[in-house]
Amino acid sequence: MAFYDHFLQIDHLSKWFATEHGKEPIHVIDDVSMTIEGGDFVVFVGPSGCGKTTLMRIVAGLETTSEGRIVLEGEEVKGPDRKKGVVFQSYSSFPWLTVFENARFGLKFRDDVTKNEKDGIARHYLELVGLAGFEDFYVNRISGGMRQRLAIARTLAAGPDILLMDEPFGALDAQNREFLQVQLLEIRAKERKTIIFVTHDVEEAIFLAERIFVFSARPAKIIEEITVSDHLVREASLELKETEAFFKLRNHLMAVCRAQAQRTEAMIMSPNAAR
Amino acid sequence: MLSERDKKGRFEWKGLFTFRGGISRPMELSLAVASFTILLVFWIALAESGLIREAYLPSPIRVAIAMYTLFAEFNFIKDVYISILRVMIAFTIAALMAIPLGILMNTYRIIGATHEPVMDLIRYLPVPALVPLTVIWLGIGETSKIALLWMGTFFQLVLLIADAARRVPGEYVEICYTLGAKTRHVLRWIILPAMAPTMVDNLRITLGWCWSYVIIAEIVAANEGIGHVIWISRRFGKMPEVMAGVLAIGFIGLASDQLIRYFHRRAFRYLE
Repeated sequence: MAFYDHFLQIDHLSKWFATEHGKEPIHVIDDVSMTIEGGDFVVFVGPSGCGKTTLMRIVAGLETTSEGRIVLEGEEVKGPDRKKGVVFQSYSSFPWLTVFENARFGLKFRDDVTKNEKDGIARHYLELVGLAGFEDFYVNRISGGMRQRLAIARTLAAGPDILLMDEPFGALDAQNREFLQVQLLEIRAKERKTIIFVTHDVEEAIFLAERIFVFSARPAKIIEEITVSDHLVREASLELKETEAFFKLRNHLMAVCRAQAQRTEAMIMSPNAAR
Repeated sequence: MLSERDKKGRFEWKGLFTFRGGISRPMELSLAVASFTILLVFWIALAESGLIREAYLPSPIRVAIAMYTLFAEFNFIKDVYISILRVMIAFTIAALMAIPLGILMNTYRIIGATHEPVMDLIRYLPVPALVPLTVIWLGIGETSKIALLWMGTFFQLVLLIADAARRVPGEYVEICYTLGAKTRHVLRWIILPAMAPTMVDNLRITLGWCWSYVIIAEIVAANEGIGHVIWISRRFGKMPEVMAGVLAIGFIGLASDQLIRYFHRRAFRYLE
């Protein structure tokens, strides 16, 4: 086991996106630093387009940094690999494969596991996410919620150290979304994975997270960090959403996010004012 | 609620006349047969009425007899075989070159940015206009015909393939990398299967174009092939034989198209 101070360390990270030649690059992330410990459930909240997804993608190794660095388990993140599993909102599973083949795809590029073991692992995770019995279905035959569960199963089957989820329940209806939130907490109770979850849904953030990072409008800066257990007793039950403590935290976060969203709107209305 | 009337098929009739309405498979088939029958009846009526001289429009019966004679007495099967062979060879070469190049054009910007403008230009050159060039460069032998067919299909196909590769969602590629894949894995296990249905459709469409070019090639200079038979028959004013040749191409085209469609349905069951 390598020595390191923190499981994941984001160090003075900034990001600019190059635009058309001659135009100013877009500043997306502004000097963000944070540390995440193994087993944490961290949620990034912020207005749409603020750069929280970009931050998650940099952690995944799918984007490069402009300044600063990310260190995962003592090693600097250079590109995507099996340690950092991702679940996207759409196109999260492969339509040309069956449910079972999708889950098994997570292990496809591992030479250290035998074929039989791969089958076993895939089956185990399908069971974990409640998809046992749907093995031979193609993806377009199962519901949107099941597809996201399948994506989680595939990602977990690969055996990542950290799970990065980009608004994974964003396209689902309200009932399905809540159902998957509960399921995600249950899965995590069994798997103890470190998770970074990106959302703009404040209730979802409070319900899922141990720690919430609230980001400003673009360029993303951390404007608030909340340890949820300081405010309420966490439990994987939707009744939590009816408690007063939950309401209070929700109203507070809503107010913060709303102010940031208005800043975004103002920026769109008068782009020069933001400069 | 489905009313008694709807269950008896009234619904289906209604669906036929509804904007973007539905149709059942048997209904689709019977309507197709009906269209062909009406066309045939119209043709027979026109030919038998004497309004149009036989030298211009022979009746379908005469064409059918001509078709039979061509096969029975003039070894027409050999011409059909030669034409199919020409199309197959040229098309296979074009596809084998276009598929990898099209994918690479999309996956490596350097290849795409250097090749696409050139392909785009050549694609717009009309194939018949290239005939003199191929004849001067390659003579009137087989090579010149294959080259013409290849030029007609390759440049179209390569751009269609590049476009099919471009449409593969970036998420699939990214997911694959985060599962520990290398670029060659992504090509083999993501890009190829994800674009396969579109690619097979592209192949089907360009194969159809290849069939029109083979006739052009055979009309210009050939001793055998369907196009040659059509042209020779025309010279002797044998209109039924001309139409028999044209119909033969139609049938072969239809058959190969249906064959690929069938393969498409079987291979890509997940699209249903």
